[in-house]
Amino acid sequence: MHPLIQKYKLDSIFLPLVAIFISCIFWYAIAGKSVVTEKVDDFGDKIKVTKRAGLSADLPTPVETWTASKPYIVEPFAKRGELDQGILRFTWMSLVLVAQGYFIALIIGTPVGFFLGLSKQFTKAFDPIIQVLRPVSPLAWLPLGMILFSGVKVLDADGRTTFGASDAAALFTIAICAMWPTVMNTAVGVRAVPVDYLNVAKVLKLSKWKTLWKVLVPATLPYMFTGFRLSLGIAWLVIVAVEMLTGRPGVGGFLWQQYNANSYAHIILCILTIGVIGYILDRLMSVVEGRFKTA
Amino acid sequence: MPLIEIKGASKGFGLPGSRTEVLKDINLSVEEGEFVVIVGYSGSGKSTLINLISGLVKPDTGEALIEGKKITEPGPDRGLVFQNYSLLPWLTVEENIALAVDEVFKDWTLEQRKAHVAKHIAMVKLTPAAHKLPKELSGGMRQRVSVARTLAMNPKVLLMDEPLSALDALTRAQLQDEISDIWMNNKTTVIWITNDPDEAILVADKVIPLLPTSPATLGEPMIIDLDRPRDRRSINHDPKFKKLRTQLITTLLDAKGRTKSKTSLKLTLPDILPEDLTTVNTLQFLNRSGPKRRTADKREEVEVAA
Repeated sequence: MHPLIQKYKLDSIFLPLVAIFISCIFWYAIAGKSVVTEKVDDFGDKIKVTKRAGLSADLPTPVETWTASKPYIVEPFAKRGELDQGILRFTWMSLVLVAQGYFIALIIGTPVGFFLGLSKQFTKAFDPIIQVLRPVSPLAWLPLGMILFSGVKVLDADGRTTFGASDAAALFTIAICAMWPTVMNTAVGVRAVPVDYLNVAKVLKLSKWKTLWKVLVPATLPYMFTGFRLSLGIAWLVIVAVEMLTGRPGVGGFLWQQYNANSYAHIILCILTIGVIGYILDRLMSVVEGRFKTA
Repeated sequence: MPLIEIKGASKGFGLPGSRTEVLKDINLSVEEGEFVVIVGYSGSGKSTLINLISGLVKPDTGEALIEGKKITEPGPDRGLVFQNYSLLPWLTVEENIALAVDEVFKDWTLEQRKAHVAKHIAMVKLTPAAHKLPKELSGGMRQRVSVARTLAMNPKVLLMDEPLSALDALTRAQLQDEISDIWMNNKTTVIWITNDPDEAILVADKVIPLLPTSPATLGEPMIIDLDRPRDRRSINHDPKFKKLRTQLITTLLDAKGRTKSKTSLKLTLPDILPEDLTTVNTLQFLNRSGPKRRTADKREEVEVAA
């Protein structure tokens, strides 16, 4: 390898660029292209007919995607209408919803994980239910949420609904899907607390409450944060499904609406945005997680 | 009345059927201010013995007493120093000790408790490292923190479960001397468990061998009447030390020799009959019931020493 490349670790920038380039070529190869043909119509006039052709005729090429997405990217916070906003504005709405659902997931998931880790009877009793509920898709939870919270309606001064059944259902779905990694990891973490630490607590005669806060929680934190990171990943994964089904404005809602409006380029824009944001969230969480890797 | 007393205690682990008896007929009595060392082989039940006193383990039969009262649960009057230090890794040296002090001396003022913590950090010569986390300390320093944490609880008895066996020989020697010094200064009762006979004789008033019979029992106590402070350089040439050392090691080795049990196993000799290969290509071959023995129950007994 060239010493300059080695010195600045350029290969970690250069190699991904190569991979992206190759992927774009592949994308270009299967994407449809507009083909313009001249035809003589029934009246004898020459007209131009535009048709799309290719392996996947409706898939826009990378260039078409960029041209169509440009207004959403260069003005990321613009608001042209309720369903026509800059991509980061949509992302922000989704992030707010995810944050709320995620918060509920942590509030419920962590104590449940602690109970599972601390009590064998509790584990035996609830493990089957948890194992059955864990793999259920967000698409299945959402309708249930709608039924559960059908009566929820919070109105503002003008009589408009600010928090309705679909909002409650959205939060419910995100929370219940994102909760499981936190539950499982916390439970494993509590079980993995070294017996010696608990013996220290016993010899010092720490109260139950103090043992929890001074010994169990700090010893479990690294596991808990692994759970929190995985939960955040799932919460973000669920957002698209939730927004599609409830029609909320957001990056997932925008995706579905643009599919219905036949602007396929925007779907790709949304997918890339979701991916990039998900990646950033994961990196942020692993930085936090790394800070708790003590011992 | 002795401070610590164990009467006819026995302890085993496991469910009925696959039970292992670890300790049997344990009788021990430790007077206040005594420095008692229990020496035994690894895995002979030393930790179980000390945990009977600490209260982490309950005896199956017999009882363990402190000041005549039955020991039912762990408590700060019996300070336990763990073999692997067991410092909480997210707390600094000071916080680790403060956790114990705050819990035991709840009615003290904040200043009193702080002074008490500082005093014990100074006692183990770790004042410059007071704000470090355990992972930033060497093994010897960690064990000193652990000793300080235990002493800071002002326990009636200091229980040490192989406190120095995870350390290198030089650090171990240094800590032996330091702990002896601390003991000479405040005369807390100490029960120390070790697998090192030299260490035992060097620090103890009384050495009790834990004999590796199965289940283990305590041997005759040996009184170590060597003068203190004991200098480890000159003590090696002290005829009294040599005699005690020989006596202790002989006791332990003899007990080990007696436990060499003889087990007899029944082994089957290979006496498989050759198979008739002319039947290989017939249906009869598919129905065969495996290799045949001349006599299925012909066995020979072979004695194997375990």
